[in-house]
Parts: sequence; C-alpha cells; structure tokens
Amino acid sequence: MSKRYVMVHDENRCIGCQACSVACRSENGTPESVSRLQVRVEGPFGDAPHLHFKYNRVSCQQCENAPCVTVCPTGAAYVGDDGLVSIKADKCVGCMYCVAACPYKVRFMNPETKAADKCNFCKDTRLARGELPACVTVCPTDALIFGDANDPQSDVAKLINTKATYQEKTHLGTQPRVYRIPTKRGGIQS
Amino acid sequence: MNNTWGDMAQYDPVTWNWIIAVYLFMAGLSAGSILIGIGLRWYSKDKSVESAILKAAAIISPVAISLGLACLVFDLTKPFHFWLILINYNLSSVMSIGVLALLAYSPIGIAYSLIVLRDELPKWKLGFLVPLAHALQPFRKAIEVVLFVLAIGVGAYTGFLISAMNAYPMLNTAVLPALFLVSGLSAGAAANAIGALVMFNTSSHDATLGKMHGLELPVMLSEMMFLFMLFCALYFKGGAAAAALASLTIGVWASVFWIGVVGIGFAIPLLSMLMPAQTRHTKGVMIAVACCSLTGVLALRHFVLYAGQSYIS
Repeated sequence: MSKRYVMVHDENRCIGCQACSVACRSENGTPESVSRLQVRVEGPFGDAPHLHFKYNRVSCQQCENAPCVTVCPTGAAYVGDDGLVSIKADKCVGCMYCVAACPYKVRFMNPETKAADKCNFCKDTRLARGELPACVTVCPTDALIFGDANDPQSDVAKLINTKATYQEKTHLGTQPRVYRIPTKRGGIQS
Repeated sequence: MNNTWGDMAQYDPVTWNWIIAVYLFMAGLSAGSILIGIGLRWYSKDKSVESAILKAAAIISPVAISLGLACLVFDLTKPFHFWLILINYNLSSVMSIGVLALLAYSPIGIAYSLIVLRDELPKWKLGFLVPLAHALQPFRKAIEVVLFVLAIGVGAYTGFLISAMNAYPMLNTAVLPALFLVSGLSAGAAANAIGALVMFNTSSHDATLGKMHGLELPVMLSEMMFLFMLFCALYFKGGAAAAALASLTIGVWASVFWIGVVGIGFAIPLLSMLMPAQTRHTKGVMIAVACCSLTGVLALRHFVLYAGQSYIS
C-alpha cells in the first residue's frame, strides 16, 4: 500500500461544537438513529475553578490490523487498495460479527441498507474527488488534520513526527490510524 | 441533560442477543448428542441393534442443528440473503470455517439419522425414505467416522466463534471452545436420556443408558474445571479481564450463573446422585435431572454470551 491515510484529532483545539458530526451526517446521508462520528464531551474533570473537559472522537479508527475484516465471513468488510477499511454493502448479510468484534464499537447496522456501516474517511465521495473528508473541511478550529502519513512532506506526517500523540487500545494490536493529541492544560503565558 | 452528540443506542457492547445464545446451545446439543450416540455404539459389543440412545440422538441431533440454524438465519439483518454467506468465504473468519463445517455436518447428520432410524421411518409415515436409508447403509462406517469428527468441530466451533473477538476479555480465552464442547456433551447426554425414555420407551435400567450415566459425572467435572480455569485466567490477566469477574457478583447475569448454571445445572444433578438407587433410577427422576442439565447448559450459553459482551477491554 503506497498510501497511509491517517487522521489526527487535536484535543487541545477541539471545542466539542459537533460541526464535524453534522457535516458527516449530511455528506454520507447517515440515518437519524445512527452515527458514523460522534465527539463526546466528557467531564468535567478536576475541581473548580480548574475544570476541564475531554473531547473524545468516536469513529472508525481505520485499523491497519482490523478485527472487523478478519471476522467478516463474506469479505464484505475489506481493505481497499488505498489501505482503507471499507464495506461492500451488497455482500453483507448482517451477521453482526464485525459489529461485535470492533473493539472501538464504531460499527453499526444501517437501518436503511441493513448492512454494516461506519466511517470510511469519505472515501467514495470527497476523497475520490481529491478533497478532504467532510469533518476535516468543516472544523472551525482546525482540530482535525488528515492526509497521507507515507508522504513525509504532508501535514499529518510532520504532525505525528513532532507532537506527542496517542492512539486508543493499542494493546489489542489493531494499529489504529486515528491519532490524538492530548489536552495540555494550563493558561498561555504572555 | 441530553447529550449533544446523539443517540448512544448503537454503542451497546452487547451485539449478539439471546437468539445467538439459543443457537450456540442448539449447535452444542446437536454435536454432543450425536457424539455420545456414536461413541456409545463404538463402545458397545452388540452392534447389530440400534440402541434407544442412538435412535434418540439420531432424532435430536439433526432437529437441534436445524432449529439452531433457523435461529441464526433469522437473526441476520438480511435473512433472505443468507445464501451470500454460502458463496463467499473468508477463511480468516471463524464464521466462514463454521459455515463450511455446518454445510457438511448437517446433510451427513441427516444421512446418518436415516440409516439409524430405517426401521422406525414407516411408523412415522416416512416409509418413502427407507430405500434411501438402505442405499446409504453400505457407507455407514465412513459416514459415522466423518460425522463424529465434524461433530467435534461443530461443538468446539461455537466456542471459537466468540473467542475470536479480542475486544471481549471473557470471550477471548483459549478455554472457551473446550468448555462449550464438554457442556454440549452434557446437554447431549441429557437430551438423549429424555429421548430414549420418552420416545423409545426404554427401560430406565437399560445398559446403554447406564453407560451414558457413567459419562455424566466426568463430563460435569471437566465442565466445572474449565469454568474455574476461565475465571482464573481472567483473574490473573488483571485489568479489563479481571474487571469482567464482576459479572459473577453483580447484575442479572450473576443470578443466571449461580442459580441457572451452578444451582440447576450442577448442584441438582450432582445431589441426585446421592439419592437411593431405586429412586434415582425412576423415569420421572431421570427426566427431571436431565431437564436440569439442559437448563444449566442453556443458562451457561446465556451467561457467557451476555456477561462476555458486557465487559470490553
């Protein structure tokens, strides 16, 4: 795979405005009862007046070693040439093995297509046209950075090479491609 | 306060519900029943007569797997597209391997049942199947061996199916396939006993029935040992795995475990062994104890599936 698409969620910059979720829903026509993307505002943590929140992006982690692809009996969940984990809805029978196997619980059954569904970085629409995913484009604080980490000149490559980031549940060996920059608390000194 | 980020229903970690627990039970029961039927036939000296246990197994095994597969198909979100799973295979998926095993197991099981039940078929107005049964007769030995191997596969497969998910520490253990195989044997023995006593009116002092009863204690003890090993593995792994042990003390699944699995499934059958031989060997007691074993195994499948999915690492 020549490309390695990754997404960085800068939790310092995120303000939990939900613009990304709305853009995602609009771009992908996600039915109302389900979502491909949520930004959960968790907290507050700490004691007043030093309260803080955590902005937790919940969406497909585009694992390099994806449990959903391994367990899918029909091959409906597959890794494309671009390395992205995607779903062929017409091959899916709805056994929900992938929904159960996903450690991040970001797969769901689409009530309209009756097939498994999830974020695919807007692969078929915006990415195919050479644009950025809808959530990245719409973010008012530039908290989302997306690109090909195999290209050393890309913004994401520079970012994950220079900033302290973390990924979720790495102990399960899934190698997620959503990186997070943790919140660094404290005021800005002038 | 409503959250700002939307409906959380899709994030429920319990994806597979009771229908799948019933399927896991039925597959284990089918495999266990035929394994015991064939095993006892190999063990017995007189192979010319079909024992009531084997005849019961020949009915229970195909019926159980058919009901189980019906549960499985109708639990799909696209049940009428189930054929997709039969033409597309992903051999890294335990489910695909299971589909292949079941694809061979189900028809071979039916073929074997026809051979075993060839003299009974006319009584059930299924006389038209007798010529087929006789045509299959020369291949009996081969069918028996293949079916026995496939039944071990199917019995263990249900355990492999859910242990393949590393997101759930209670399911992701090596002991689960073994636990499911032995508990399937215990369900199979219980169902065979009921079938033999009720459908074939066998004497409760029948020799084969006695031999099968001899198997029940070791099977139950290994089941208890595997359960103990499962919980020990969780305890020593620590972290999210150890947290899953809370399922033994908190919530409705703790009650299902202690009342259903331990109380009804283990304690009643074990205590019944202390009854005087005369009482113990009456038909009523034998059927009641067998029903307890079946209930225990069904409760075990529910406990493992629900408690297993409730704790995520």
